[in-house]
Amino acid sequence: MRRAALPLAILLAVLPAPPAWAEPLVASKTASMQQAIEDITLAAANHDMVLVKDQPIDAALKKRGFGDPHVRILFIGSETAVRWAEAADPRLLNLLPLRLTLVARDEQLTVMTDDFEPWLREFTEEPARRLLKAWQVELREVLDDFAWQ
Amino acid sequence: MIHRIRHLLLFLAVFWVGVSGALAAEEPEPVILTATAEGKNMNEVMLALHGAVVGHNYSFVRQQAIDSRLVPYGQEVRSVRLFYFCNMASMDRALRLDPRAAQMIPYRVTLVETPTGVDMMAVNPAWIAQGLGNPVLQADAVELKRDYLSILDEATL
Repeated sequence: MRRAALPLAILLAVLPAPPAWAEPLVASKTASMQQAIEDITLAAANHDMVLVKDQPIDAALKKRGFGDPHVRILFIGSETAVRWAEAADPRLLNLLPLRLTLVARDEQLTVMTDDFEPWLREFTEEPARRLLKAWQVELREVLDDFAWQ
Repeated sequence: MIHRIRHLLLFLAVFWVGVSGALAAEEPEPVILTATAEGKNMNEVMLALHGAVVGHNYSFVRQQAIDSRLVPYGQEVRSVRLFYFCNMASMDRALRLDPRAAQMIPYRVTLVETPTGVDMMAVNPAWIAQGLGNPVLQADAVELKRDYLSILDEATL
């Protein structure tokens, strides 16, 4: 067994580091899709945001004969976010309204945000960077609020 | 037994070097795809976009102001609009491959009217897929990016 450990040690030493795959912000709890939408709407309102659009892609795919992906997309936003993005860097408008992806699996409902880390790597200048971080914080709070309800 | 472990480690090493190398060798993708329709107004570009997406086998979903439902209808900004479109088969495939592909869905172009024309922007799906690190999704995303570029190009004509 000790002889097998040597190649393993060499292997670990020479292998390149895994690519930096960032992950989106996530929150999970036991809930139905409908309950989750209501909870997120409330959580968003607690943070001065409104539900702009419920994109029922699960229903749309089912209606056209595809399998149910158990995925729904919600867009939440605030007027302030739009005005700040316009002023900071219009390219950030592409992130608005903010997207939340709901995935239902075995009675567990997971909410994911878009992944902001790649955006932060690209937008290194202020005030765009500050704005991205502020949205990240706001979304984290919305997700925490959702999880605690 | 030790022989087997060695073989397994060797296989893992080759696999890992292959995957890491392939991902590292990828060309860096631009974050945003852009095009400008010089001398056109918002309605003309919307119409052109509509024709271009249908021509590429996508369906129009909706268009809205950037601040739709955030301000009263009459106060919405007229100069920034969002144009959404989709293709059910490719959406279905992407979501089955990776639910995080929802970050690309529905497909969207952001239009900004300027004094000289209309600027169009779209988040590059190939850039998103690179960040997700799913090679299978990446191939589809590159194809989707090509469609975006064709659609944007056609909408400028």
